[in-house]
Amino acid sequence: MITLRYDEEHGLLRDQARRWLAERSPIAAVRKLADDARGDDPTVWKDLAGLGWLGLVLPDSYDGAGLGCTHLAVLLEETGRALLPSPLLPVTLAGLVIAHGGSDTQRARWLPRLAAGEVIATLAHVDPSGAWSLADTTATRTRGRLSGEKHRVLAAPTADVFLVSFRDAGTATPRVALVAASANGVTVEPEVGLDPTRRSGRLRLHDVAVGDDDVLPMDAAAIFAHLLPRACTALAAEMAGGADALLTMTATYAATRVQFGRPIGSFQAVKHPLVNVLIGVEGLRSLVYAAASALDAGADEAECLARMAKAQANDVYNFAASRGVQLHGGFGFTIDCDVHLYFKRALASRPAFGDSLYHRRWIGDRLIVQA
Amino acid sequence: MSDTPSTFDAETFRAAVRAWLDANRPSDPGFLLPQSMLAVATRAQFDFLRAWQRTLYDAGYVGAEWPRDYGGRGMPAGTQRIIDQEMARAKVPFLVNAIGLSWAGPTILRSGTEAQKRRYIAPLLRGDEIWCQGFSEPEAGSDLASLRTRARRDGDEYVVDGHKVWTTLGHFADFMILLARTDPDAPKHAGISYFLMPMKVDGVTVQPLIKMTGEGGFNQEILSGVRIPRDALLGQEGQGWELAVTTLSFERGASEGSAASSSGAVESAADVIAMARDLVRDGRPLLEDAVVRDRLAAFAVEEEAMRYSMLQRARVPGLVADRPLALPLMRKLVSSEFAQRLADFACELQGYAGTLWVGDPAAIDNAEWQRSYLNSFGVTIGGGTSEILRNILGERVLGLPKSR
Repeated sequence: MITLRYDEEHGLLRDQARRWLAERSPIAAVRKLADDARGDDPTVWKDLAGLGWLGLVLPDSYDGAGLGCTHLAVLLEETGRALLPSPLLPVTLAGLVIAHGGSDTQRARWLPRLAAGEVIATLAHVDPSGAWSLADTTATRTRGRLSGEKHRVLAAPTADVFLVSFRDAGTATPRVALVAASANGVTVEPEVGLDPTRRSGRLRLHDVAVGDDDVLPMDAAAIFAHLLPRACTALAAEMAGGADALLTMTATYAATRVQFGRPIGSFQAVKHPLVNVLIGVEGLRSLVYAAASALDAGADEAECLARMAKAQANDVYNFAASRGVQLHGGFGFTIDCDVHLYFKRALASRPAFGDSLYHRRWIGDRLIVQA
Repeated sequence: MSDTPSTFDAETFRAAVRAWLDANRPSDPGFLLPQSMLAVATRAQFDFLRAWQRTLYDAGYVGAEWPRDYGGRGMPAGTQRIIDQEMARAKVPFLVNAIGLSWAGPTILRSGTEAQKRRYIAPLLRGDEIWCQGFSEPEAGSDLASLRTRARRDGDEYVVDGHKVWTTLGHFADFMILLARTDPDAPKHAGISYFLMPMKVDGVTVQPLIKMTGEGGFNQEILSGVRIPRDALLGQEGQGWELAVTTLSFERGASEGSAASSSGAVESAADVIAMARDLVRDGRPLLEDAVVRDRLAAFAVEEEAMRYSMLQRARVPGLVADRPLALPLMRKLVSSEFAQRLADFACELQGYAGTLWVGDPAAIDNAEWQRSYLNSFGVTIGGGTSEILRNILGERVLGLPKSR
């Protein structure tokens, strides 16, 4: 069993993040940005950079803070709780890919600028077929020209650079290329997504010039193996924060909304489902921090724990969301209630880096083999 | 054991416990052992389990952290947890005096007089005196405070009249932690007192109750003019509810402070897989079925979440800061419901074989999973029903108003 490592400095980061988010990204601001064309606040982005949070897990030799997965989980739990609309997550994941799979030149070129908030980078790995592991790609480079299509690219409309998975024509090994948004042949079409708090787009590449200098030396399968548990843990942490926010919000409503002469939270039909949400959230937080500790310790269990955390997050966040709407009654069904924003984030987060069926298949196979 | 607190090393100790258990585990007695202390029915089962507890006590593994003055070993905090974990790992028989060790004992230790501690603790730890709990009544289950058993003061004694039910180990017990009403005119919770009542005295009639598993293990008691000494009172008259709340908190999962909490093997997804290895459905190994794997994986995720919650995160203050009561208050609820659904699933996997019972030669593992599933309701109902526990969690953790 992994020992959970959570120290005073993690608590300080949590407190700092929670305070800062309450001030700079309260739910009223999130609602407003949901209707905004761009969907996030550039001044908030600048401040995130200034706080060192964009480079939290990037090596300090490249201007990052050099911190671990537990720090990242702490931060993302808070940004998830606040439903912060920003490219923080995609930029963090892109940074992890460049840091792990890039050449020294590529790292030096991109990472400091990511940390400083000067460049928004994002992964473009979801194939039109829906396949999403970096290794499953139909994008192809032929004689130095990359063509293909990627869907569900987070922050695509405002991204400066894409990390695109592809294959060189006639080869089997999938690779990852750095492609500038401004390059010839690149088109971004914003997706009309369910979740207005996290924008995405479709990326179309038509004969885009990609030199070998812009291809990451590590192959996509190796990059994916490194990325997946970290992405799962990061997302699960964010989702844990969101589920907890829903729980608090719905419990507060149930404690104050009066019907039949008493607060509706006194009725067991309301109380008990909320307790079931609580049980789910508590279990999820344990898995998130177990996964983060395992990743920080380089433990073998890390991948399994990260997948468990994501599977649990999918189910718990969506359950919390469905009870959030239901228990807010008619009000919960309208856009005037904040719950719908979390509800949509929960749904949109579910397939990213694996839905529960996907992860349970891996977990189930491993269980049978191991036992 | 010669370790003093100043030279205590957890890993060395753990290794010593492990080695001792391997060397001293009792051999199969040749009869069916109960799955937990909730089902100890026959004299043979009881004697076997009591002998095991005595052996463990003499080795220093029961009440390890309790004061030496009262029969404990005065070991550092965390010692008993190591012992309990090793006992669970070794799947050795459980400790039969569980009510004494986890509920009566800690309550006496916390609230008893010096004389009471010196009188009761050591025999409790060794298993020489067995304890049962006389709280519930036919008309007072979840609504315990409505209990009606009367304890009337008469000179230097109390006279007890009433009817208690669901009394695990009542048929073997030497003492009962008894809740009785001493002041019928006081408001409901205020008129209750807590007694350490001897069981093997005139006026106590113990009648076994049979569970749906066909097992005995719990009882009802008719108390008719039972005379008990004045010093059987724990604390003050009218303090009974407050003391009961303490006892119940131990029962519901705040098991830090119990003298030992090995309560029988806890079943896991891995155990179900081991059971299902040779099962076949539609001509193919059951474990190859994708749906079965998915459901097993779901159990494994839930189980891992529970393990990390209870064994790790509950002890990291920074990680429970927002809701510090949540994990301790949900422990029994979560683990009992998990065990119930797992056992149900295990029965389902067995197909027709899952409808056989103990003693049939074709039953898998002598119907262990069927027994587990049926017995699981003793745990989701007893010690605070899942419904009541959800009320408590909703009220004390989520701040919701009481259900009225």
